[in-house]
Amino acid sequence: MVENEQAAVLIPVQEKAGLGMTALDDFAPLVRSHQQRIYRVLLGMVRDSDAAETLTQECFLKAYQGRASFRGEASVGVWLLKIAVNLARDHRRSRLRQFWRRLSSSFEDVADLGQRLPDPHASQERVLLGREEVATVWSEVQKLSPQQRAIFILRFVEEMSLEEIAEVTSLKLGTVKTHLFRAVRAIRQRLKGGRAGE
Amino acid sequence: MNNHLSEDQVTEWMLGTRDDFVSRHLEICRACSVAAEELQSAISCFRDSIHATAQRDNSFWREQQLAISEHASARDWYPLHWAWVVAMVMVLITAIFLTRPPNPPQNKATEDADKVLLQEVQGDLAREVPEALAPAVLIAEERNEILTNKEQTKSTLKKRREMK
Repeated sequence: MVENEQAAVLIPVQEKAGLGMTALDDFAPLVRSHQQRIYRVLLGMVRDSDAAETLTQECFLKAYQGRASFRGEASVGVWLLKIAVNLARDHRRSRLRQFWRRLSSSFEDVADLGQRLPDPHASQERVLLGREEVATVWSEVQKLSPQQRAIFILRFVEEMSLEEIAEVTSLKLGTVKTHLFRAVRAIRQRLKGGRAGE
Repeated sequence: MNNHLSEDQVTEWMLGTRDDFVSRHLEICRACSVAAEELQSAISCFRDSIHATAQRDNSFWREQQLAISEHASARDWYPLHWAWVVAMVMVLITAIFLTRPPNPPQNKATEDADKVLLQEVQGDLAREVPEALAPAVLIAEERNEILTNKEQTKSTLKKRREMK
């Protein structure tokens, strides 16, 4: 499936026109198969569902416009994630957007995201503890640099290998591991501090 | 057991680095295994919360696909808009050149008059005295001639008297 999508993207536009296909027809399955993952990563990075939705669209539009530059050195998924991570980083840089983000009614608070635990059958105590832990992790993740946050989310939310993360972030494997190590250590210390205070 | 795992050892274990010593220690040390499990559990809960938040109904994804498709096709046409603008400007410029009235043909008389005027101008430039002062020059020449004649007459009479 992914190989076919990759091949479709690699066919130059002129050839596609000659084959009676439009580039957009080939791009639609790519959007369908990757949009949920891209949205999830962006949501984790910007913590705002509206912004994540807009950035997901922008990610695919950028990919569509830049499809001629896709060399196939990495998988389409990695290529899209690379665009998404860069967009999220640019989004965070914009102070104006941050201002509007705070005002926006759709802004997802740490506590709101902490409420969304998938297991409704867990014990009340476990649910409360889980919510607290999730809020703590969210709050700590927000303190990470955009690059560290991206690495953390790709590793623990998308469960990608360190090699894949290195490809997405264009960093060396050792650098990725160092960023991840620091992020996990910071979260662990915060969790430990929270428990010690109880 | 007094020696527990260090922060770094637990973090490494969390990152997937499987060290025999750490694995054995986690099997026998309840405090360390609880600490490691708590960290793993917190991160798992975090992952599940993002997955749950990112769960949207099918209409959301379909609308997004539609929006991407519409925007992508609009961007496909975007360079063509510019091509149209350039083409229209070129057509406009060509039309202006084609519809401009040709220069009126110059007749023979006009050409001759131009030549005469040019000759007059050249004559004026070559003249030592401006045309307006020409009568004054004639008067001055006549006056000089008269004065010269008078002087000649005077000198002739003088010579005659002396001869007498």
